[in-house]
Amino acid sequence: MNKFVPVILIFLLAIFVSIMVGPAQLTSEIIQLRLSRVILGIFAGGILAFCGGVLQGLFGNPLVEPYTLGSASGAALGGSIGILLFGTISPLFAFFGSLGVGFFVFTVARIEGGLLRDRLILAGVVMSFLCSSLVMIIMVMGGRELYEILYLLMGYLGIIINAENRLFIILMIVLSAVLMLFLYRYHRELDIISQGLETAAGLGIDIQKFSVIIFLITSLLIGLTVSLVGAIGFVGLVIPHISKLLFGPKHLYNLPASFILGATFLLLADTVSRIITVYELPVGVVTSLIGVPFFIYLYRK
Amino acid sequence: MEAIKAKNIYFSYNTKDVIKNVSFSLEQEEFLGIIGPNGAGKSTILRILCGILRPKTGDIFIFNKDINDIDKKTLAQKIAFVPQETHFALNFPVKDIVLMGRFPYLRAFQREGRKDLEATKHALAYAQVVEFRKRPINSLSSGERQRVVLARALAQEPEILILDEPTSHLDLHHQYAIMELLKKLNTEGMSIIIVNHDLNLASLYCQRLVLMHKGCIFSKGTPQSLINEKTLNDVYKTEVKIIKHPYKNVPQIFFHPKGE
Repeated sequence: MNKFVPVILIFLLAIFVSIMVGPAQLTSEIIQLRLSRVILGIFAGGILAFCGGVLQGLFGNPLVEPYTLGSASGAALGGSIGILLFGTISPLFAFFGSLGVGFFVFTVARIEGGLLRDRLILAGVVMSFLCSSLVMIIMVMGGRELYEILYLLMGYLGIIINAENRLFIILMIVLSAVLMLFLYRYHRELDIISQGLETAAGLGIDIQKFSVIIFLITSLLIGLTVSLVGAIGFVGLVIPHISKLLFGPKHLYNLPASFILGATFLLLADTVSRIITVYELPVGVVTSLIGVPFFIYLYRK
Repeated sequence: MEAIKAKNIYFSYNTKDVIKNVSFSLEQEEFLGIIGPNGAGKSTILRILCGILRPKTGDIFIFNKDINDIDKKTLAQKIAFVPQETHFALNFPVKDIVLMGRFPYLRAFQREGRKDLEATKHALAYAQVVEFRKRPINSLSSGERQRVVLARALAQEPEILILDEPTSHLDLHHQYAIMELLKKLNTEGMSIIIVNHDLNLASLYCQRLVLMHKGCIFSKGTPQSLINEKTLNDVYKTEVKIIKHPYKNVPQIFFHPKGE
């Protein structure tokens, strides 16, 4: 797949740009600061796009992403509760929020029986709305924490990696890498499932078990991501589509491509968010600002 | 030894019983047709036989082994299923689709080997879709797509082939092509179950028929013994005229327009 060469080159360029470009002078401190943003950007953008690709494959639905399944909103809700209680983002809360809502959505869909995946999407969208309302209530109650919750909702790569949290962040990244590799094992199943559940079952895939595994692991990954950088939208929806347009339908290729493209996209969006106004914008604002027109352009083409 | 043996199968969606006490078997190298009116439970019983649906009660044996004791991938090496229509959400090239038939033989991260590529090549040739192998699946006509799905099933190298109305949306030529292909596979040793609404085709190609009605088996037997005006009137509530096929000793059905 020689298409990976230009994509990786652009990725490296994005890393370079996001370290070099910005309003402040290039001191070693600034470089360190931006380096930690780069690490978080690759981590978050890559995971969101990768999970989006996996979920779109599993559900055979182009609109599915971490948001439509409720896990991103659940993580935001959990994170907000953490901010309200402790005044700061606590990864554990976001993580359990994601898993909790994910699990709830799953249970609702399971009780109904029948075709699991249609109901999952419906339950996920409904739960997303509920979570958003609850976050609004928390924002109104919080007052002083409103600003922080806003950044959690829109995403922010500005956490500084320091001696205190270094080990924790490394651990999160290693865990995510292991989880993604585990999902990647199922690239062939995802190819097959695009031809319908019956075909997949006829070829020997245990649909029920497979859906549970994918759903729980993506929830876990989303929880990890949101707890570090907030709920960044649009990466998980748009990037997998672009990846499929460039690399074709085979998940063996388009999943790793999604990761690289997602990381690239988020790094560039973050760079824009730092230079576009005097105040730094939440990166999620920029991802939708760039993502929506780009997406429409690609689809009209 | 029977290829498939189904004993006292019951199945229900929610509370509605759709399969009631169905028992029958597929002999090895047999070409069996399941016929019956809409909603008789034909498609449901097919899905139960290939392990996609689990019966509420009853036993299924595949080559004398309980289906519940067979690992899903192992089962897919023995039985291949061709659904009535496949929707291709992702526009894979034809050869990739057929190669997916090798899934039951592959472990995670295992690359397709020479054996897999050979089986795929063979299946493409058999289903006469070699010329399309590089084309995206959704650029093909429905008849061509159905042959690709059949090729994917053949790439599974199954001993039993189960097909749900494979000819239902096809024109005369493609109907004939599919049925002839199945006949050829059958003479080479493949055991086949087919659900077919076209009773004339079923009568012409199947060695034995199972007639289902309202979730039960109404009757079983050769086309000659099973297809007669009384039975069809009882089950389909339709008056038909039956005469013998000009070249083959099987019954063929003709409608009888009212008042003529």
